[in-house]
Amino acid sequence: MTSWFISDLHLSPARPDITRLFLEFLQEQAVHADALYILGDLFDAWIGDDDTSDFAAALQGALRQVTQQGVPVYFIAGNRDFLVGPRFARMTGVRLLNEPAVIDLYGTPTLLLHGDSLCTADRSYQRFRRIIRQPWLVKILLALPLSMRMRIANKLRASSATQQPLSAEQLAIMDVTDTAVIDLFVRYDVGQMIHGHTHRPAIHEHQLPDGNTAERIVLGDWYEQGSLLRVTRTERQLISQPL
Amino acid sequence: MKVTLHTNHGDITMKLFADEAPKTVENFLRYAREGFYDNTLFHRVIKGFMIQGGGFNLEMVQKETHEPINNEADNGLKNKKGTVAMARTQDPHSASSQFFINCADNDFLDFKNKSVGGWGYCVFAEVTDGMTVVNDIEQMRTEGAGWHQDVPVDDVIIERVSIDD
Repeated sequence: MTSWFISDLHLSPARPDITRLFLEFLQEQAVHADALYILGDLFDAWIGDDDTSDFAAALQGALRQVTQQGVPVYFIAGNRDFLVGPRFARMTGVRLLNEPAVIDLYGTPTLLLHGDSLCTADRSYQRFRRIIRQPWLVKILLALPLSMRMRIANKLRASSATQQPLSAEQLAIMDVTDTAVIDLFVRYDVGQMIHGHTHRPAIHEHQLPDGNTAERIVLGDWYEQGSLLRVTRTERQLISQPL
Repeated sequence: MKVTLHTNHGDITMKLFADEAPKTVENFLRYAREGFYDNTLFHRVIKGFMIQGGGFNLEMVQKETHEPINNEADNGLKNKKGTVAMARTQDPHSASSQFFINCADNDFLDFKNKSVGGWGYCVFAEVTDGMTVVNDIEQMRTEGAGWHQDVPVDDVIIERVSIDD
């Protein structure tokens, strides 16, 4: 049996090819799985569970079909879709997890998170994250009319679509820092961690202070391909699927 | 073919690599001929890295552009000091009008493979005259402005562009 892990699909009406591959994956693979874990940024922007667009409805319906077959689907919010809430969960049957979450993955305690909290060198982003994720601010955001939230999301998106290149220093601070990773391994006493966010798929080995090694699996994004992690009792495989 | 950017800090002349980056050069010339670059800023200046411009007017408002172009960074040209390449978002095929002049050998910007992280930035020209002007701009004091970092405190303006066929 299989557990699937995905993140950073950045689904949006502007990229029907990614949505198509995701829906195919749900119908053909996820329905036969032990579980599906979505580790953030499923959506390029989620402005609230009261979004009644066709796009939102189609994805909610597709997720519901998977959970109705008895396959548990778990969701950890990313920096783009942290406004996914209880109503989304009710409509889809998806279970929302707080990050970091510890799961038992075929006998291996495994820590799950989106990954943006590990990029501690990016101080201005961490400052922004601390503020925007405050429960009181989330409440205020959700109380705004949908159209106003849409405008805010577009503004934020435009700011992150700034024309690059980034300098070597800027690129470096956008990756996770070793100290943040080791700190989490130690604090949660696990030997395996899975996250996304950085769009740099890989399996990293980390040396812990007690001499043990721990593994960190980074999921890839869905910009030019579908990126999946398939875990069974005996193997782990990072898969890339053409769009 | 040569193009000269007449800035308020002096002229920067560059030769275009029309054979290696045909679509990118054609795209750049289209903006240049339309006068799009007249009175735009070098709005992003990072010492030891690059100076970037060609997208913002003097009020630091981003100008409306044509459709983005396909990335031609797989043409073998390298982001050496003094070369000129197209800026873009994280999407490899999103360059429109903004370009940057490399102020160092930035080999990490070169094409590696056709993935989001590997596409690199398409070199389409090289400064042949006026590198001292580029160096002067590179050394300028910068500040944050709205969403933007590294904006020169004193405006660096592309006043007009002349094309020498």
